[in-house]
Amino acid sequence: MTTRTMTVAGRNVAVAEIGKGRPVLYLHGFADVHAGSVGWLPFHETLGESFRVIAPAHPACAGTDEDEGIDTIDDVIFHTLQVMDALGLGKVDIVGTCFGGWIAAELAVRNPERVGRVVLVGASGLMVPRQPIGDLFWQIQPENGIEYKGLRSLLFARADDPAALALFPDVRSDIERGLSQFKAMRFASRVGFKPPYFYHRKLRERLGRFKGEALLIWGESDRMVPRSHAEAYRTGLGGKTTLKIVAGAGHSPHVEKPKLVAGQIQSFLAPKAPSKKAASVTVKSVAKKKAPVAKKRSGAGRRR
Amino acid sequence: MHPVQMFCWHFMAYPYLPKDFDEKYDTGWVTVPNKLWDREKTRGLYQEYIDQLVYGEELGFDGLVLNEHHQNIYGMMPSPNIIAAALTQRTKRAKLVVLGNLLPLHLNPLRIAEEYAMLDSMSDGRLIAGFAVGGGPEAFNYDIPQPQARTQYWEAIDLIHRCWTESGPFTHEGHHYPLRYTNVWPLPQQRPHPRIWIPGALSVETMEEVAKRGYDYFLSSRAHGAGTRKAAQRFADIIKFYGGKFHPFRMGILLSVYVSETDEQAKEEAHEGVFYFLKNTLKGHLRREGRTLTFGAGVPSTSVRSWEQFLKNANPGAKMLGDANTWEELEEWGSITIGSPKTVREKLWTLIEQAGVGNLMIQFHFGNMRPELARKSMRLFATEVAPALRRDSAAMFARDYPELNEMPEFSRVAV
Repeated sequence: MTTRTMTVAGRNVAVAEIGKGRPVLYLHGFADVHAGSVGWLPFHETLGESFRVIAPAHPACAGTDEDEGIDTIDDVIFHTLQVMDALGLGKVDIVGTCFGGWIAAELAVRNPERVGRVVLVGASGLMVPRQPIGDLFWQIQPENGIEYKGLRSLLFARADDPAALALFPDVRSDIERGLSQFKAMRFASRVGFKPPYFYHRKLRERLGRFKGEALLIWGESDRMVPRSHAEAYRTGLGGKTTLKIVAGAGHSPHVEKPKLVAGQIQSFLAPKAPSKKAASVTVKSVAKKKAPVAKKRSGAGRRR
Repeated sequence: MHPVQMFCWHFMAYPYLPKDFDEKYDTGWVTVPNKLWDREKTRGLYQEYIDQLVYGEELGFDGLVLNEHHQNIYGMMPSPNIIAAALTQRTKRAKLVVLGNLLPLHLNPLRIAEEYAMLDSMSDGRLIAGFAVGGGPEAFNYDIPQPQARTQYWEAIDLIHRCWTESGPFTHEGHHYPLRYTNVWPLPQQRPHPRIWIPGALSVETMEEVAKRGYDYFLSSRAHGAGTRKAAQRFADIIKFYGGKFHPFRMGILLSVYVSETDEQAKEEAHEGVFYFLKNTLKGHLRREGRTLTFGAGVPSTSVRSWEQFLKNANPGAKMLGDANTWEELEEWGSITIGSPKTVREKLWTLIEQAGVGNLMIQFHFGNMRPELARKSMRLFATEVAPALRRDSAAMFARDYPELNEMPEFSRVAV
């Protein structure tokens, strides 16, 4: 993975890029590059076949300096705008997973002039009564000294998913990855530990301000951000919004079903055919039938 | 002469857990269900624990130690200041060490400045003021994000220090605690302020902050051996670097002791309480079994630099103190010293000699230990262990730190 370092407001920001073409700003989550994973995952490589994926590391993550001044998500939004300025990104399509999706959603409602189309994958950020977001901080505390089954169950549909075990094994982690995960937890802790836990109470009522197109991708058994949050995003966002439920995936569909999810995003962000097909697919049909999913997948394959 | 200072530390464990607690519950911290609290059996429990501390003063201990924990069975003092307040009225001479108040958990450090000033005044200047940041369990107790907790913590300490040493009212332009009117009434009795103790678990960052401010360092580790000596050495070097002078009373360590007439009798009597302490109260904290909140990445209270060291050196999944199943395994930790007065005297002297540390915080009560056993152990320690340790340490410190002669002697009443 090639990473360059930019200076933004006097601090180092690490930016990784993959692929060529139209720029897509990628805001990472936890089971993701710059955090749970030190390098790109197959999902990013597939996405990079269609776009220039630009992934800055959040403050404290990977090679980005920690910022003692970050108290809440507002500071992260401002920081991300500064990063976008430095990258010369005017209005850009944004893909965000997990807390990266939260940042994307906040940007979309606060600075809609900077956000083209937006893709949220298992995004946190909303407060849905009696539907709390799972406790990442609790689950990353090892059981019996070294076991992370609880963490994998929170982040993936199956704790024994090979991709999950590769990122969070029950053995001594290699130092580079252990450090990367620790730094991402420091970032997450700054914005999500103190109540409100990984959400902004006012975001939900503000969602209507974003009139652009949005694609929501949720694992069918997301135990970190319940599916009711996807519904809240779908009904709240002000533009054409499509929800795709990924069968057999949990909180990290981009890790669990990388080709499928990358394909969904490729179709949605494809420059021409402004995804009438995608919009016509209802939530229920995707959730219940596998056929349209398989179709999309082959569609994505054709483009390559 | 300056002998080791010996303090009696009471954790006030919850002693009435069901026998099958370890099988049924994965932690004694944060989520341990409070339906286990027995409202009948606990009548008089705080009184008994306070009485044990008062007995510590009668026996001639130099001070009594309390600390703060929340939502757990290990230590039942969510507010140690309340116990300290009771002790101000029951004791006359012993130092009262609150080690410490968990600053980031409190709404405003001004309240701590006020309460400590009250305690110092009520005890006629006997308070030692401890400030702690809290670790894994405490982060979950009050939902405290740890990266901020560190900066909040040192800002709070500096604010309290200002409250006690600068005349008010003044404006505090802090990041976490901005205040327009800072004007503490009452002021502490001791001048310029009570001694300030800061607990730490070996991190260089903490030692540096302590050394810069001229405070004292308390090593909170429960295991002792070569690491204790290393910690003292490291702290001494850091003090020197910041232009200060190290002497043994700049640092304290935590010891646990049970003394009885013979080694065999000590083991027999202490068994129930010690293993209740290890298996139940350390579960979730210093035990591999269950979910340990103390050493994961989820509450990153340590710096990235320290975590890198941890990743390099730690052996995750290895046994911890609470995993000791036999006396022999326990012995390897150098944590709990058990035996006849002679055995305990020899072992502690080896430790004091190695570490060169002057403040010994000693835990005598373990888990569900019967009160009469804890008292007997305290008495035997005070009469048959402490005198020799005082004598030998005073000679050693006088030899190794001649500058101590310029320091006033500690006032104490001989037993």
